[in-house]
Amino acid sequence: MISDSNLSNLSVEFMRPPEQVMRLDRMGSSHQTRLSFMRSLIRRMSKQNWKFECLRRDIDNDGFGVSVYAVTTPLRTYSLIAFTQDIPPKKRTDRVIAEVWDATFNLFDGIPTQADIDYLANNTPKQEGGRYRPSELVLARANKSLRVFEHVISTLAKGNQPDIELLSSVGYLMRTTAVYGSGKFGCADRAKIADREECKGAFQIELLAVYLIRWFTIDLAEHLARKRGGDKAVKFEPHIRQFIGVGNATGLGMAPFLLKHPVLIHNLVMAKESALARVRSMETPLKGTLEKFTKSLIQVSQHLREWSVEDEVQTTRIDRLKDEIESLSHWCGDQINLFKPYPWNGIYQYVEDRFSLECQEMVVSLIIEPHGSLVDDLAETMSSASTPKLVAEMPLSQLKGIVKDYYVWATSIDFTLTESQHHFWYYSEDKLEPRFGSRDVDEGSEQEMPLAIGRDAHELNHALFSASDETLVGEFVLSFPKFRHIIRRIQNTLQRPYSEVQDNLLDESMRPLDLLRFKLAFFGASKFDPKSDLWTRISMYQGAPMPDQLSNPDCDNWFFPVTPKQVI
Amino acid sequence: MATEQLTISLNEVLFFFTRAGFGVNAPIGISEDFASSNMWIAANGFDPSSCSIEALNNLDSHASDLAVELKKSDSQVHFVNPNNVYLSSLIASVSVVDWINIGSRDVELIVKNVDSPLLVIAAMGANQCSGWQAIWLDESNYEYLVNFTEPGVWEMVSSNTQPIESSKGGSMIIRPLVETKKYPANAVLKKFVTIEKKEKILQTGVKVGEHWPGIYDYFSRCLVKSTAESRASGAGAGMVDTD
Repeated sequence: MISDSNLSNLSVEFMRPPEQVMRLDRMGSSHQTRLSFMRSLIRRMSKQNWKFECLRRDIDNDGFGVSVYAVTTPLRTYSLIAFTQDIPPKKRTDRVIAEVWDATFNLFDGIPTQADIDYLANNTPKQEGGRYRPSELVLARANKSLRVFEHVISTLAKGNQPDIELLSSVGYLMRTTAVYGSGKFGCADRAKIADREECKGAFQIELLAVYLIRWFTIDLAEHLARKRGGDKAVKFEPHIRQFIGVGNATGLGMAPFLLKHPVLIHNLVMAKESALARVRSMETPLKGTLEKFTKSLIQVSQHLREWSVEDEVQTTRIDRLKDEIESLSHWCGDQINLFKPYPWNGIYQYVEDRFSLECQEMVVSLIIEPHGSLVDDLAETMSSASTPKLVAEMPLSQLKGIVKDYYVWATSIDFTLTESQHHFWYYSEDKLEPRFGSRDVDEGSEQEMPLAIGRDAHELNHALFSASDETLVGEFVLSFPKFRHIIRRIQNTLQRPYSEVQDNLLDESMRPLDLLRFKLAFFGASKFDPKSDLWTRISMYQGAPMPDQLSNPDCDNWFFPVTPKQVI
Repeated sequence: MATEQLTISLNEVLFFFTRAGFGVNAPIGISEDFASSNMWIAANGFDPSSCSIEALNNLDSHASDLAVELKKSDSQVHFVNPNNVYLSSLIASVSVVDWINIGSRDVELIVKNVDSPLLVIAAMGANQCSGWQAIWLDESNYEYLVNFTEPGVWEMVSSNTQPIESSKGGSMIIRPLVETKKYPANAVLKKFVTIEKKEKILQTGVKVGEHWPGIYDYFSRCLVKSTAESRASGAGAGMVDTD
């Protein structure tokens, strides 16, 4: 049984176990929730009345130059510094190995001086090729959507609003292809800002940078339309502006990060599962919540109709999801199904017994959504500053017990089969780009990243057979130092049961995409658009309030956004 | 990245030193602890590359290795390399910390002929050891004393001019802290409050000097040569992506 100080005994009974939750197929079906990092950041901006201001816009008629956008929180100011340039279309790639981008950014700690901007002008456009200082909190870059960017400027310049169908089909004006924080390339370490009020929770500073990038892209488009159209030009209608998100292309880099931070994974999942358990354990629904839920099914149906991707697997999943949400709507229409004790658990159980993982996870999001007062406190538990330590004084009898209780998924895999070790993960010498290789095809398996958690646990299990129960871990690793890494992970799992992905990450059938989607859903991404098993495009902040809308009473109501003209 | 004068972040210390350890064939778990020790070194204002390059060079050239034998008596536990080379500080450091965590405070730990004693100290510091003392005489006959007086606070006493990071080939005695009232007249005591030092480093970054390229070279051994095939398909996305 999962225990947590934030849960009552009743809620604990409704927790889904790690062996159900931490499977790749379910992780790869994740959706954003109200605990997602973008959602909690927007709530904080609104609650604390953050102020936004464009401090500088030194750009030419084509939009190339430098701009500075600042946000002032109750305690300090942060600035997005944006460098924009002209690049050949053929040089636009989402890959790490790209060398030029339409726009490059830093989130600066404070307001930059001219000397700071001069320094960054020589570094930021080079991205990984530049060096940064502790005053730079984030490094990022973005490319234009060629289809949308020019269309938007030309239509606004003529005094018209852009084609909403086109806007909806892409969802953004620019797409970020990397957002680096936490000490990358010399930027500030996470520890520098971890105790700041506005940085509590996970990835808040990186997502602040992305929010400012979104604002920058929209502001840039309106500015260029004014330059081109003069008095005829118009701005976006507010509801259209709000519908524009910022794109993101996410590749393999996110997967190793996730696997290297087991404490963080546990904390993220624990928060979400605790929220679900709190809702499911309510015998009587809070006032108005069931109505909000049934209404949200209508909105989500619309969202699904607009979630269109080229990937065949995802298209099939979306089609099935549409049917399942419709079935659920009908079921919920019969009041006898909802007006009984533990209605939320009834809804969850109905869906779990009948529908796809994609639908199950969407319904998890939907039933958590109306319960802000019940679950929003959990958002602040979704980060981690600790690293697991080896518990040297643990007897092997206890370690064997943990392996037996928590790692059956690993010890039961037959690693003598070629397909069980088909893949390996590595860093390429090419800009340290993370890549996913096939052992029988690609070179470099000797330099494999240490992400073979299942295989390592399996090998340890064998080594433990012949070791005495009374031996201490500290003594065992003296003779077998190669197991230090996996023992530390396994010991951590005892305290943090959601820390491990319970599938073989080397298997031939393994799709890194599942890991990417899992993490991106925690970020708050929507409209996952897989381009292969190794990368995906997404929209971020689509439907989120713009800076001038943060004081609106409904500013937290932007989940599963739909095209403005079709808002219900 | 492999330039002579550079400022890096603590997270980069973790990233590069983990893989540098792995690059000289230390197991990943040992390499992770080695990198944590280097973060502690950096947080205390030292250049981690100059503190660690010797230990990596030794492993790479087989002047040291990771073999360690434990010899116990009633009052002492000896950590000894059985192969007549230096005891690598990468294994000595984690072994000492493990033994401290196992809990016996009534024995002395004797670490024989360890190549870079500061890495053992760093592992103790990174693991918040408190109430312990380490003394050693290195192969140049320089003597050092380090006291871990309370969590996050340590002091170093030495009467010689050789920096502690250059101390090599010492046989260390690690024991519960004994309060020393008097040091030799020419001894210099330096006190470090790690959290205060770290706060400064977070504002300035970690300066690494002449030995950084050596660390980077070992790190680079973890990188896989790029081929046309892996470049085209190893990361999934295409070489030209528009929308």
